[in-house]
Amino acid sequence: MNKKRAWIFRGCTLLVILIIAGVMFLVGRGHTVYIDNRTLEYNGESYDALQKVEVWVGGERLSKLGKRERTMSTVIGQSFEMKLINTVNKGDEPTEETVRISLPYGWDGIVVNVPGYLAGLPQEAWMTEFISEPEPVTEEEEEPGIGEDEIPMGDI
Amino acid sequence: MSRKPQSTDRNIFSFLRNNTVPLMFIIICAVCIPISGFSPAYLLNEIVTRLGRNAFLILSLLIPIMAGMGLNFGMTLGAMAGEIALIFVSDWQIWGIPGVILAMIVSVPFSVLLGLICGKLLNMAKGREMITSYIISFFINGVYQLIVLYMMGSLIPIAHGSIKLPRGYGIRNTVSLLNMRQCIDNLLAVRIGGVKIPALTLLIIAFMCLVIVWFRRTKLGQDMRAVGQDMQVARDAGINVERTRIISIVISTVLAGFGMILYLQNIGNLSTYSAHSQVGMFCIAALLVGGASVDRASIGNVFLGATLFHLMFIVAPQAGAKITGDSMIGEYFRVFVSYGVITLALIMYEMKKRRQKASIGEQLALAQREEEKHE
Repeated sequence: MNKKRAWIFRGCTLLVILIIAGVMFLVGRGHTVYIDNRTLEYNGESYDALQKVEVWVGGERLSKLGKRERTMSTVIGQSFEMKLINTVNKGDEPTEETVRISLPYGWDGIVVNVPGYLAGLPQEAWMTEFISEPEPVTEEEEEPGIGEDEIPMGDI
Repeated sequence: MSRKPQSTDRNIFSFLRNNTVPLMFIIICAVCIPISGFSPAYLLNEIVTRLGRNAFLILSLLIPIMAGMGLNFGMTLGAMAGEIALIFVSDWQIWGIPGVILAMIVSVPFSVLLGLICGKLLNMAKGREMITSYIISFFINGVYQLIVLYMMGSLIPIAHGSIKLPRGYGIRNTVSLLNMRQCIDNLLAVRIGGVKIPALTLLIIAFMCLVIVWFRRTKLGQDMRAVGQDMQVARDAGINVERTRIISIVISTVLAGFGMILYLQNIGNLSTYSAHSQVGMFCIAALLVGGASVDRASIGNVFLGATLFHLMFIVAPQAGAKITGDSMIGEYFRVFVSYGVITLALIMYEMKKRRQKASIGEQLALAQREEEKHE
């Protein structure tokens, strides 16, 4: 009886640990969100870049974007919120908009096109995956471990 | 009347003999601190940071000492398990505190497996645990290199190009942990007089200390102490000595894995092929500097050792540069002191053991003579 109880306890502990791991896997997913103020071409129509966009994330001003400019922010989890203060044309009164985006789990880098979003286009138009170019190969990276000291003197 | 001063002298002599290493370090630090010219606030800041970074790793050494297995050089195995977990978590792009927690969970099966292997092997080499665990760490390091350099990316799926070598398999020399860098240290951190105190990290360490204190009082903890004192007596008392020793190594390996993850989240990057190589040596040196020995170590030794050892690490290069004009002298100094301390502690332990044996022999001879007189 005691043995059975011990096994049940062990099983429950393992289950709890696995649930915690699963939750961490979901809530800890990191993304890099690139916010673009660039002219977007979609279905043959052109959506012009704004004169000026101020991007605020988490109560802090991230950047002030002019035409054809980009900024980036990192986020943990699948939801991203930012405040945009937009000036559509020179001399216009700036308007404020809070943007809440649900991020796809599988994408590391996500490009959000502000003119496309503000124009109310479907998500696939203004949200694309950012794919970085592979870094150039260096000799040092190709041969790990070679050339290390016999007695490492590194700090701890 | 003359007995009292004699006993005081003996006490002082015994205190000096038992605390040679910490006293030596206090003297070294006392000489080097003024020469280095560092401000007290800077030194305090550095020590608090390094204490938070290393204390958990050093704490992982206490349980095998309790079980009489000496200084566990095999803690490097746990460090490797922690590194493998961090590579996976980096590849899955899990950031921040969730990343650290997930890495700790992922490291457990690797640590347990490596701990079991190490424990089994150490049971085959009773009485030579330290040298055996030291060599096991080299052996497992080879296996680790094979897995990380050839299997990851080819047999074991690794998706991210930033982690993989450009040839398509194997892990790069350095894996960036920038997205989890100091996430635990910065949460609840407080600044007092320019000194940043990583409150959450210190709370985790304090919790670990409480767990160790509690563990000593449990049935398993008592069994480990019994095994540590005398294996034969423990076996006669019905304790499964081999199993108890394996459990102590498994616990130490798991804790070392957690410690390594905490250490690397503070550093912010992982040197894939070398981060673990010196960890065991430096942690053991720090523990010995705190006044521990092969068969006796306490939580106090961990904190005193970490403080003194790292104080020496901070001031020695600068002091060396000031004295000789070459900072490398200080660098060499701190390295040879680390190895020297371990050597000294091992020699002193052996001398103490021999002295104890001789004293027991003398007592036996005396008792025999007394018996013969009575007859």
